[in-house]
Amino acid sequence: MDIGSVKVAPPEAKSAPKKLPDHQTEPRALTVCLAGVPNAGKTALMNALTGGSFHTANYPGVTVTLSRGKSRAEFGPALTLVDLPGVHSPVAPSPEEELSCRVLEGRHPSIQPDAIIVVVDATQLERHLKFASFVARRGKPVVIALTMIDLLARTNQTVNARRLADALKVPVVPVDGRTSWGVAELIQTLRDTVKQPVASYSALRELPEEPVEAYRSIRDLLDTGGVVKQSKPLLAATDSRTARIDSLVLHRYLGFPIFFAILGGLFASIFWAAQPFMDLIDLGFTQASAGTLKVLPEGVLSRFVAEGIIGGVGSVAVFFPQIVILFFLMTLLEDSGYLARGAALVDKPLSHLGLHGRSFVPMLSGYACAIPAVLAARTIPQKRERLLTIWILPLMSCSARLPVYALLLAALLPGAAGKAGLALAAIYVASLLVGALTAGLISRFILGKRTSSMLAMEMPVYRKPLLKPTLRMTWSRSSAYLKKAAMPIIIISACLWMLSNFGLGARQPASLDGRSAPAIAQSELDHSFAAEIGQTIEPALKPMGIDWRVGVGLIAAFAAREVFVSTMAIVFHVADTEETQQQGLLESMRAATFEDSSEEGSPKKVFTTSSIIGLIIFFFFSLQCLSTVSVVRSETNSWRVAGLQLLFYTGLGYLLSSATVQGLRLFGVD
Amino acid sequence: MSLLDAPLNEWHRIDRLEGPAEECRRLLDLGLTPGEEMAVVQSVPLGDPLVVVVRGMRLALRRREASWIQVQ
Repeated sequence: MDIGSVKVAPPEAKSAPKKLPDHQTEPRALTVCLAGVPNAGKTALMNALTGGSFHTANYPGVTVTLSRGKSRAEFGPALTLVDLPGVHSPVAPSPEEELSCRVLEGRHPSIQPDAIIVVVDATQLERHLKFASFVARRGKPVVIALTMIDLLARTNQTVNARRLADALKVPVVPVDGRTSWGVAELIQTLRDTVKQPVASYSALRELPEEPVEAYRSIRDLLDTGGVVKQSKPLLAATDSRTARIDSLVLHRYLGFPIFFAILGGLFASIFWAAQPFMDLIDLGFTQASAGTLKVLPEGVLSRFVAEGIIGGVGSVAVFFPQIVILFFLMTLLEDSGYLARGAALVDKPLSHLGLHGRSFVPMLSGYACAIPAVLAARTIPQKRERLLTIWILPLMSCSARLPVYALLLAALLPGAAGKAGLALAAIYVASLLVGALTAGLISRFILGKRTSSMLAMEMPVYRKPLLKPTLRMTWSRSSAYLKKAAMPIIIISACLWMLSNFGLGARQPASLDGRSAPAIAQSELDHSFAAEIGQTIEPALKPMGIDWRVGVGLIAAFAAREVFVSTMAIVFHVADTEETQQQGLLESMRAATFEDSSEEGSPKKVFTTSSIIGLIIFFFFSLQCLSTVSVVRSETNSWRVAGLQLLFYTGLGYLLSSATVQGLRLFGVD
Repeated sequence: MSLLDAPLNEWHRIDRLEGPAEECRRLLDLGLTPGEEMAVVQSVPLGDPLVVVVRGMRLALRRREASWIQVQ
């Protein structure tokens, strides 16, 4: 009778109709969730369990992404592993915590774990066991993975895992996710535990829920079980190395210089160390594009593949080295423990703006590329602060803007490389200040009063990062970036290529014979849909002081901002001879006049002081990167946020650019 | 007195938490329970947040959060 009633219990009944046939022939893969307090070492363990091959998944109805993966083959039959976001407290939870709690309490429609691995930091047993008791109370089989064993020596402690298991009546396996030590044993213990009926009694499950009582009972349990051996009194049991490093990196006078030195080093690596790799990738794609044109029969298709696909992907792939280096250094900083200190340093000014101390990481990443920056915003616990951070990220001067600024500044300040450099630096600083201003204004006037914002951020113990796990993490983050960004980039660049190459009057093969390639490209662009769109919107471009050809460049730049430069080269008839290209482009731009201006007598120039400044302002604000829009959509799970952001920044760029151009002309600056 | 008035590196026993209920409950869950000893061990250059040690854990608390913690 009992058995029968168990079989129709709700969770079984839900999955039964779909999976009934599988159930009888072979056992389905066990679903195992990893749960724990943040910084318990969950991600490292997930990496060790899956070999780094997990992917993030958006579950329907959830705005939070989870990592999900299969256990490595060497651990026997595959387990489905789900890494739940860390939980500080089930009270007033953030969206991530809320999701974890829903899964752990069995209230989630699509994730029904068969067992749960609770990751417990051995140096902070009391707090982590309190969370473990919350998990165990739900009645699912629980195994404790005990991490950070190597750090116990620093505080002169030892923890006896067997005694802990005896005291709690729950299996405990010591592991180190970074070296995979103990991971195979953890899986074996897990399989054994799932096979047995859930024990009728576990001390862990019986712990009280009320925090004061719970902490008291946990201490009693640990004391009577003789779990922790302490050679020094508990009060002194804080890691002295961590205290010493903190007194340096959070020093009143040295704290900020060290912070800026680290940031500066990171910046320098992103730009200089990545350069040779970027050149190599650029060369590779150029060669591949040229090779494709040679190999494939001449025609629209071969040009589509060579320019639209290979060229389009190449224009974005050149930034990949920067992104890998960024992820590598960020992982190093995170694993060492410094990132939390950096967040603490800047929390005060950022929290005044409605942001969070942790917002500085995505903001910094935004200077390389907005896409990894949006992904990095996941580490911000509160939804409001995370959304606000994502909102201002497109303002950070990403490296795709660099070639555009370089071209425009060279046109604005001919022969004054020094001044142009200063202007570029000013643009970078301004982007940070404008981002801060935007966040402050939106936080104050649009989002309104904050409901509850807390920092209460753990400062993890300093550890020397290990190379292998760091590389594994870098790879899993970089490949997540590739997966997220690759498809939109290919689709967008293919669409934009077609817009710029097809049109109602585009095909005039007879008249093109014997003309040079740029001439063909130019002629096709003149009659393309992009040109038609450019000509249609020309009246709207008038306030910015530019003509439809620049407008075509602005449209093409939605694939990636630096495409503006190559489009300018096509619309202004520049022969593609590598070395002279920049010079030739500048000369053509200087000579360009409005096509319809002849009637007034002297031709009006397109690129004047005011219109170039206007363009710089447009690129400063405008969200000209559809890949970013697509990533924002998937990260916020909202078309509204992504669409609003696109309209807001592009509209703002247009308005401010027009206002500046008209204002300058009012004061006699042409 | 409030934790804000506690001198650096001096251990104090938590007396009670006085603040918004939900936020105080989160602090309790973090292990800042009455009777537990804690110390402010580090200030940051801008004076906010404070770094405290409790239950062997280092924690950055904003001054607003620290002001809720009454210590003996």
